[in-house]
Amino acid sequence: MGSAKGTVKSYIGKPTPILILALTITVVFARIFNVATLDTLVIFTYFITIAASLNIIMGFAGYVSFGQCVFLGIGAYIYALSIYYVPWMNTLQKIGGEGIIIVGLFASSIAALVAAVVGAVVLRLRGAFFAIATIGLDFAAMYIVMGIVPFINPEQFYGAQVILPSHCLVDKSATFTAMLITMITVLVTNYLIKRSKFGMGLVSIREDEDAAEVMGVPTARYKTLAYTVSALFTALAGAIFYLNGGGVYSEAFDLAHTVDMIVMIVIGGLGTVLGPLIGGVIYYWLYDTLLIHYPGVNLIILGIIVALIILFAPEGVVGILRKYEVRGVRLREILE
Amino acid sequence: MSKATLLSVKSITKKFGGLVALNNVNITVYEGEILGLIGPNGAGKTTLFNVISGVYKPEGGRVFFDSVDITRKPPHQITRMGIARTHQIVKPFNEMTVLENTMIGALFGRLASRITMGEARKKALETLEFVGLIDNADAPASKLTLHEKKTLELARALAAEPKLLLLDEELAGLNPKEIEESLNLIKQAKDEKELTIIMVEHVMHAVMNIAERIVVLHHGEKIAEGTPMEIANTPRVIEAYLGEKELALKFVKKLKPQK
Amino acid sequence: MGLSTVVISVVHGVLWGIILGAASTGLTLLWGVMKVVNVAHGEILLIGSYLIVILYAFLGLSPYIGLLASLALGLITGLAIYWGMLHKLVGKVEKVTLKIEMSTLLIMFALSVALSNSYYHFIGSEPKGLGLWHFGLKSSIDIGSVVVRTNSILAAIVAVIIVAALHLLLTRTTLGKSIRAVMQDAQAASLVGINPVRIKMLTTMIAIGVTTLSGFLIVLHETAIIPGTALIYTPLAFVIVVLGGLGNVLGSFIGGIIIGLIYGLSKAIIALTFNPLASAPLALSTAFIVLILVLLFKPEGLFGR
Repeated sequence: MGSAKGTVKSYIGKPTPILILALTITVVFARIFNVATLDTLVIFTYFITIAASLNIIMGFAGYVSFGQCVFLGIGAYIYALSIYYVPWMNTLQKIGGEGIIIVGLFASSIAALVAAVVGAVVLRLRGAFFAIATIGLDFAAMYIVMGIVPFINPEQFYGAQVILPSHCLVDKSATFTAMLITMITVLVTNYLIKRSKFGMGLVSIREDEDAAEVMGVPTARYKTLAYTVSALFTALAGAIFYLNGGGVYSEAFDLAHTVDMIVMIVIGGLGTVLGPLIGGVIYYWLYDTLLIHYPGVNLIILGIIVALIILFAPEGVVGILRKYEVRGVRLREILE
Repeated sequence: MSKATLLSVKSITKKFGGLVALNNVNITVYEGEILGLIGPNGAGKTTLFNVISGVYKPEGGRVFFDSVDITRKPPHQITRMGIARTHQIVKPFNEMTVLENTMIGALFGRLASRITMGEARKKALETLEFVGLIDNADAPASKLTLHEKKTLELARALAAEPKLLLLDEELAGLNPKEIEESLNLIKQAKDEKELTIIMVEHVMHAVMNIAERIVVLHHGEKIAEGTPMEIANTPRVIEAYLGEKELALKFVKKLKPQK
Repeated sequence: MGLSTVVISVVHGVLWGIILGAASTGLTLLWGVMKVVNVAHGEILLIGSYLIVILYAFLGLSPYIGLLASLALGLITGLAIYWGMLHKLVGKVEKVTLKIEMSTLLIMFALSVALSNSYYHFIGSEPKGLGLWHFGLKSSIDIGSVVVRTNSILAAIVAVIIVAALHLLLTRTTLGKSIRAVMQDAQAASLVGINPVRIKMLTTMIAIGVTTLSGFLIVLHETAIIPGTALIYTPLAFVIVVLGGLGNVLGSFIGGIIIGLIYGLSKAIIALTFNPLASAPLALSTAFIVLILVLLFKPEGLFGR
């Protein structure tokens, strides 16, 4: 078998071929699948962004944050209300992608703060209890928004909606730039986490939290941090996505958004860096193809496909690929 | 042997509902020794380990390590101070490789605040070389045999560079040859790394052989403390645990010369 | 005026709570006995609701027949769900790990996506209901100053019957005792000769059957249902099951009444102190805050040890 010192190459401190690969894949797939208009590009990058965001808490730390969409909603609402009611924020976001990111970071920081506070408490729960608690959080937030927002925004009283007037809207190329920057940042973050002490600690929590704590991993702090970072990016994606859509309503809290994220991660491979990317690409393609060829029943078919993946390929694409070797180099090392 | 106190367990009481798992237990552990902790099933041995490593918070009493009160500290802080442990039921991180498992030990152990990824990796490889798992460094932990998993538990603990090592039935479930190997490894680790060890053990001849002192727990109480020979001659221990005196003495006599 | 608002709101809340309680028993069984996190619960409830509506509206069959048909369809669906989805995940497993539990959650979500989109596609998003059918009685009944719809009261009565029947099944029959044995310790149960696979299959059938049966209650209480109705009942059922303790059928029932009471009371208070238009959503949000609090401070449920 040879010495392990030879086969386990030092991947720390190496350049980041994975990222170059990631970007190439994105661009290539975008062309192959004919992702043409700016709107579809925004959706495409949005899918990958939210999947990679959830991957931080669900893939690495193993906590199924089923109510993750709560942060989409919080980010989207705060962003929309901010630019609607605070003129200088509207001016700021109008300068382009960077402006959107800056205002978006304001909105998503509040979401991250919520995650830090709630997470410190709710992350004491494990497994399904945690998942259910996050669903509870999502619904609590949604109903609070439905009850309160009409009074904050009385001009559009019904449906708790914030439809952005034309002077608040930005060019689609600006929202795409912002989403692309967010996507690349969250993918880089995934990569850096996976390669770090923090990331190894998170994975050990996923594998056996009690053993990890006894081995010295500060589990409570790590989990909360992962949840917060995950919420930050989810909220940022939500803010940009709903800005692109021209407004936000309570649908932003729909659990279906979490399903999108989970399905992509499961297809791609939980807890891997490329998983959300590959899963996002496949999901987008599946989503698009099914929508075009089987309108109406597209989501029914999608549900069945997901069920089959969970039953027969629970490790996802990356999980399957990493078992193979190419010229003595394990794909595991490249893909993760 | 130096007689400096490394760990002192002072009047620890731990209850689970109405059940008293540990009742006013006092134990002192000196630097550089191997202390055997024995007793019948349910005597409270693993519970005591859980109290020392911070998993359980006791109802009464204090634990001092290096003269610092660690009773209320969370487990990860206690590990950073230099106490590492293995589990009776092995708990490998199944989807991580053997190397990664061991790196976790190094990254979050006593040197946690200053060790880099590269150093942790080097430390882990050295440790795997030391325990003889180096050929499996790349294998997922789930693929190991029971003996290898037990050894991995030990490697993870050693990689943490602890001052005090708590071994919870490291030998249980192993065959005689594997027991022999593990015992040698433990002795070697103790000598090379200047460790202090507390070992909970059911394999009686092994613990009688390797430990310098022995503490006997029975129904959560300490009923005896002394050298293996003294323990083997204490009537109450023999009643509670060792069975017949003749048999116990035979064990000690038979095994001593093998050293 | 304030007091009567509170009374009306609480009476309606409690009636809804009784229905919610019964409609959540299937979820507590699946989760408690098999560690299956059925996030498709609301959609499965609607299988029963829609079947009754379709039989009544299109075939002119009495809802009583629909009631039996929904139970039958539920049992069959349960059988299909067990062999098609759950057996591979939990059938032969003695101890369900967190990872397996999460897989059940994901696969049930896949089912919910498929089901809810089937409703949209094959039935449509328009409200569907039993129209003017109310057991051949007056449409509403006056209890003092409170006017209550006949269908809500009768649905609550049927709910009590369903829960009583399920409770008797679990406590008085050999099958029920076996189910509870598997819930407590699958390994020990198999040692005394209980076949855990058979029990898990039957548990799934009963749990899904009682859920589709409860679809009757939903269609009566809601007057009309849409595919999105499921989105309210799934999370509320989880609140109730957690409140009642996993696997505790009577606990769920009482949990449902408590949630109904909290909903009715907080709705009235918000309507009186803040704004009636905000009262329904904010009152629902209290239910979920209760959920998080119970999970944190009494995860074994209000009636647990």
